[in-house]
Amino acid sequence: MFDRDIWQEIYHSISNNKLRTFLTGFSVGWGIFILVMLLASVNGMQNGFTMQFSDDATNSIFVRTGTTSMAYGGFEAGRRIQLTNDDIEYIKRSFPNDIEYISPRVYQSTSARYRSETGSYNIQAVYPDHQAIEKTIVNKGRYINTNDLLNASKVAVIGRKVEEDLFKGEDAIGKFVEFNGLPFRVIGTFTDDGDDNAERGIYAPTSTFQKMYGQTDHIDQISLTYNPTYDLTKALEFSERLESVFKRRFKIAPQDQAGLRIFNYAEVFEDISNFTGGLDIAVIIVGLLILLSGIVGIGNIMVFIIKERTKEIGVRKALGAEPWSIIKLVLFESVFITALSGFIGLGIATALLAAVGPNIQSGAFANPSVSMSIVVTATIILVVAGVLAGLIPAMKAAKVKPIVALSDK
Amino acid sequence: MIQIKDLHKSYKMGKNSLHVLKGINFNVEEGELVAIMGSSGSGKSTLLNILGMLDSSDTGEYILDNVPIKNLNETKAARYRNKFLGFVFQSFNLINYKSAAENVALPLYYQKVPRKERQEKALKYLEQVGLKEWASHLPSELSGGQKQRVAIARALAAEPKVLLADEPTGALDSKTSYEVMDLIQKINDQGNTILIVTHEPDIADMCKRIVHLKDGVIIEDKKIEQVRAEQYV
Repeated sequence: MFDRDIWQEIYHSISNNKLRTFLTGFSVGWGIFILVMLLASVNGMQNGFTMQFSDDATNSIFVRTGTTSMAYGGFEAGRRIQLTNDDIEYIKRSFPNDIEYISPRVYQSTSARYRSETGSYNIQAVYPDHQAIEKTIVNKGRYINTNDLLNASKVAVIGRKVEEDLFKGEDAIGKFVEFNGLPFRVIGTFTDDGDDNAERGIYAPTSTFQKMYGQTDHIDQISLTYNPTYDLTKALEFSERLESVFKRRFKIAPQDQAGLRIFNYAEVFEDISNFTGGLDIAVIIVGLLILLSGIVGIGNIMVFIIKERTKEIGVRKALGAEPWSIIKLVLFESVFITALSGFIGLGIATALLAAVGPNIQSGAFANPSVSMSIVVTATIILVVAGVLAGLIPAMKAAKVKPIVALSDK
Repeated sequence: MIQIKDLHKSYKMGKNSLHVLKGINFNVEEGELVAIMGSSGSGKSTLLNILGMLDSSDTGEYILDNVPIKNLNETKAARYRNKFLGFVFQSFNLINYKSAAENVALPLYYQKVPRKERQEKALKYLEQVGLKEWASHLPSELSGGQKQRVAIARALAAEPKVLLADEPTGALDSKTSYEVMDLIQKINDQGNTILIVTHEPDIADMCKRIVHLKDGVIIEDKKIEQVRAEQYV
């Protein structure tokens, strides 16, 4: 099929019409270039969104409570729902396969003092699991461990900004800092990719705070991560299950949105992927339309070439060329021009993205790039486009009557 | 070799129909060199087109080498043309971006002959028409007579049963015409069947038989004493 003669024909046809071939090839190359760049932009947006949220573990779920807004189960509306340590144990027991990490959060604002430096900060009292949920990066010392929790130790992990503000360049590890007048030992410092604000936070064991402030087992919020092998559907299904179990547990009306709120990051991701998915489709349509004009251009040039070569095709037929061999000739040429110019466009786009893409890191747009699947798809589109562009001209060529070779007098 | 019986052909020209061939009967034996003569509009080109399977007849029989030629689709017609017929055109119709040898090899390409064998055969036939050393030249580098000789080599390369030549000397001066006729006579001497359409009496006289067409019928069909072209070369 791909014998030398066919290549020779294509070579001659192209080299006889260099400018025309270049111009039409350019339109296809340009179409593919734009298609790839658009897809890469959507990909960059997706990356940007993901980065914005990946500060926290992307498979996290937060359980918050509030005040019921509806009467239900014999209770009046306006009841305050309070989470306790038992709820953590309850979740662990009820959903052993669904959860990965789980930790309560007790919020406390505090004025902190080290020597003469003071400042006011928010403390989150948590379990050791919280490090994984919040993706806290401990850069010095260690995080809260199980012993701290069991002993209700007065230890704290402070943010980088806190250390900067209070310790003024001193190493905080092992030093004592006063929170509301009570001394806590600094066991570690952390940084956060997300923002500077998070680095103004302080972590301490839940039990310590529960004991210090009224011997309660109250917690403000439960954060957990679900089994990371879950896909979007399974994740959403899990949080729905969690919600209905908790609403039953606290006797909250199923449709009551105020009493219990479960926030699942998966929902955000679902929205984002819906959004970017829609954008992808829009982009593909726009790209294909641009490509279409290129295809029409190539079809056009092929029709012209055939017109020019009608006599030659007639001669070939008189010499015994079957219609299929003529169709093949035209199709190959069209696929060749389309594919070659398309690949050039694809190559330039890919090279540009590889060179510039990783340097783009701004807000909701990061590292625009194309995946292998896009490249493969684009290649298939190109070949199909080439066939489409050549099809009508090829049929036209096949219909050329060999008689035209004779009627030249 | 060729048997034609009561061949009719008419063309529709709007509402009118133009009856071009009005019952042609003739046979060609193997090894004949036949000139088909006639003024323009006599139907000689239509007859050649039908003989060359480039056009089909309305009614009548056409048998070529014991194969009835009828109801051909494009593909089959192409195969038969390739197998049975060699064409020589007035305007040579060489493919201008192919060298002489490549042009000669083209019918062999459509016969799916392997590349190497094609090249060997092409050279062999170019040698036969005396243009071996011109094998790698493009048609634009050849003179008219040389081009026609390449075209003849191309027609011979497929080793056809019949060679059909449509005004083979129409575009050549008389000296070159005689050279080409000399070549055609020599090919005929080797036993090849050749039909030539011409309106030049001196060319027709170099054949062995003249069929005269007028208004779609054969008005004269005679065997003649062949004038050898050699003496004019």
